[in-house]
Amino acid sequence: MNDQYKISANSGLVFGVVIMFLMLFGLTTTLADIIGNIFSLPSNARAGNTGGLIFLFALLGLWAGFRAAGSDRTNLKRVIISSLISGVIIGLFIGVFSYFVGALDGMDVEMRNYFVQLDRPSVSFLLYGRPILTGSLITFGIYLIFGVLGGLLAYYVEIKKPNEYLQKQYLVLKDKALNAGIVKKYTQSPRANLISYGVLFVMLLIFPQMLGKYWNYAMGTVGIYVLMGLGLNIVVGLAGLLDLGYVAFFAIGAYTAGLLTAPAPIPLQIGFWPVLILSILFAAVAGILLGLPVLRMRGDYLAIVTLGFGEIIRVLIRSDMMAPYLGGPQGVRDIAGPSLFGISLTNEKAYLYMIIIGILLTILFTNYLQNSRVGRAWMAMREDETVAQAMGINTLYYKLMAFATGAAFAGLGGALFAARNQYTGPADHTLMVSINVLCLLIVGGMGSIPGVIVGAFVLKGLPEILRELDLYRLLVFGALLVIMMIIRPEGLWPAPRRRMELHEVVDLEGLPPEGKLVGEEG
Amino acid sequence: MSETHAKKSTAPINAFLIAQVIIFVLFLVFLGWRLYLVISSGVYGPDTWVRFTISGLIIGSVYSVIAIGYTLVYGILFMINFAHGEIMMLGAFAGYFVFEALKSIPIASTGMSFLDSFQIISVVLAFLAGMFIAAVSGYYLEKIAYRPLRGAPRLIPLISAIGASIFLQNAAQVMFGPKRRTYFNPASLQRSVGWRIPIGGEEVILTYTGVLTFVLSILLLVCLYILVMRTRYGRSMRAVAEDKQTAALMGIDVDRIISNTFIISGALGGAAGVMWGIHNGIIYHYVGFIPGLKAFTAAVLGGIGNIPGAMIGGIMLGIVESLGPAALGIDFQLKDVIAFSILVLILIFRPSGIVGEVLSEEKV
Repeated sequence: MNDQYKISANSGLVFGVVIMFLMLFGLTTTLADIIGNIFSLPSNARAGNTGGLIFLFALLGLWAGFRAAGSDRTNLKRVIISSLISGVIIGLFIGVFSYFVGALDGMDVEMRNYFVQLDRPSVSFLLYGRPILTGSLITFGIYLIFGVLGGLLAYYVEIKKPNEYLQKQYLVLKDKALNAGIVKKYTQSPRANLISYGVLFVMLLIFPQMLGKYWNYAMGTVGIYVLMGLGLNIVVGLAGLLDLGYVAFFAIGAYTAGLLTAPAPIPLQIGFWPVLILSILFAAVAGILLGLPVLRMRGDYLAIVTLGFGEIIRVLIRSDMMAPYLGGPQGVRDIAGPSLFGISLTNEKAYLYMIIIGILLTILFTNYLQNSRVGRAWMAMREDETVAQAMGINTLYYKLMAFATGAAFAGLGGALFAARNQYTGPADHTLMVSINVLCLLIVGGMGSIPGVIVGAFVLKGLPEILRELDLYRLLVFGALLVIMMIIRPEGLWPAPRRRMELHEVVDLEGLPPEGKLVGEEG
Repeated sequence: MSETHAKKSTAPINAFLIAQVIIFVLFLVFLGWRLYLVISSGVYGPDTWVRFTISGLIIGSVYSVIAIGYTLVYGILFMINFAHGEIMMLGAFAGYFVFEALKSIPIASTGMSFLDSFQIISVVLAFLAGMFIAAVSGYYLEKIAYRPLRGAPRLIPLISAIGASIFLQNAAQVMFGPKRRTYFNPASLQRSVGWRIPIGGEEVILTYTGVLTFVLSILLLVCLYILVMRTRYGRSMRAVAEDKQTAALMGIDVDRIISNTFIISGALGGAAGVMWGIHNGIIYHYVGFIPGLKAFTAAVLGGIGNIPGAMIGGIMLGIVESLGPAALGIDFQLKDVIAFSILVLILIFRPSGIVGEVLSEEKV
């Protein structure tokens, strides 16, 4: 009995802390604005939409109340008390916090110097543009009322079971749709795959024509990340070698393209197409060179060494010592673009087509490798290196091959990236690039080609659409990585084999907390 | 075990060994040649070398304290706590806020702010706050990001740790803003003020902040060593590191030990953060990342999982990093390259570190 209330209180406290951090991040303001714009709610503060803020707080309160309702949701009295406890705690927490911030602001403390999001207008916004006490009381009231409403909602769901009803309806609908003539005929046709690929191909051809300049550029960026993701997919997803210095190969590709085509600092100015091949080659060679010494390393040591390698490359291209050869912090300017039969191909649309062609070729190549002896060797290595070795797989050779192939794709991506921007510099080659590529691989699903594409669209395409949330992109990335690892380590569109493996792991989690059961050797 | 090793070291591995030795000898020859060139040219007088050594010792002692955090966690969970550098950053910010708050409290009797009136108390408060915030973050970091993943394949917690690191970095950026902040030290701890030591006709300044940092680091390291090696609690920690299942059978609460390990390593990271702030003076959201990476290097250098190793590794790395660019006659911008090259070389040639015992292959 008391335990139940304790859990509710705890849940309230967690919600309170999280909401406080949302306020410190300034996310409440941004989200309130988005909500306010969607529903065109009224507002009486300068910094944001107060209607949206009330709406947001109400939603959060509802959720908190729902969560706090406890395990026994059929007992109305207990549900109400539980949600009331949690509501009061959140309300007190956030109310006191608002009051505190407002009071400090009233004492002429420049909060902005310490917490950038809490400037004067924002503080007044968090108090709904009203006096400090009134504003805090409104917040307290919202959480109290909606907390209890959330509890009632939980009770209602438990008693009437609308979720089961909806689920049933959904299943009926799905069944109907699947049994409808055309869909059934399609899914059972042996040519289904071919047709869908054909449709996709035609769409890819038409797509760039329909988009404007900005979207072609944005999609080009997504495409380059798809290319790099496909490359890292081979290294991490197939061969199981965690490479955190992947950006080094991207940089080598970009700098090869840049240095050999730009007039300065090395006045060579070779044409684009031979340089494209050279970039891929150089990156692959660098992959082998990095691979050679680190071959015998496993798991996280490899990750750290590659990370160190990436940082070395970045520091080197930034340094003044290498500036006469690499351009230093200013980077390389005036990188030549491609031309074909005398026609210059330097607009966004042409680049997008080139990137799409690059992706298609890469996918064909990856697919071929994956289903060949090489791919099987990689996957065997990923699962258990010692066993793979015992089976007669030359792990050193296949590891080098994985490194070289992955690096070659990154080199291609880098060369296209540099040519498209007509510029490349140290700022393009930070650790964040490696992390981004790794993220998209994990979000999409390691070892899965469609997963890479989905991941790139989610991580690079979505932020283009949600520009208001740009400030929080990396924050969300980080949280997403952790959350994905906990709830869906196989990614959004996993490779079938990997999903099976990871679910095996989940089953084993019931055993004692001993890490050595699965994959400890790897 | 020995038989398999004997079988393994057949022809190709021997070739590999010979190649390693050759590369190592060439590297030493190159080092000696550069050193000879630099010293014979006489660009740097003896005072400069002393200055570099002092700053290397100070920065190295901070690395040691951070490195212990990595080593403790690695020793128990066999995972790299990638977010440890960010924990240090949070500690640095906590100390900064304490100084800022104390600075704005006026004391009537002395006519100065609290910070300048009670300097020792202020510094102690800053360290306590930094250690507390960092310890709490470490505790929740483990609880949220690592505990649900115990028993998963090894890459998964590492990726989760990278995610946590990115999250914390950007959370700090969004909350505190991207601008660099200057630690406002108490009056007697002004940077660039200290004892003057005459060496070879020049004066070398031994700053108070540097001495504070060094002494405090050594103190913390000694305390930790005693805690782990001499107390009952330390014994249970070592038991968990050795074998979790058996430790659990012996009546040790493994989960609590792991939590406490994160608390201890967090507190050390927080203390290192405050030291970093007091001595180096500038903090921002990215301040923990590179020191974290270097401290990891230090932990690997000394043999990860090995506490005295981390201390020695930290100090060595600090000295090499600060003497290296001068000794090799290269640009000071490239000191990070030296640190990371050491990391790569050590991991390739001697993954067990300089003082570490030879780890079995599964652990490496």
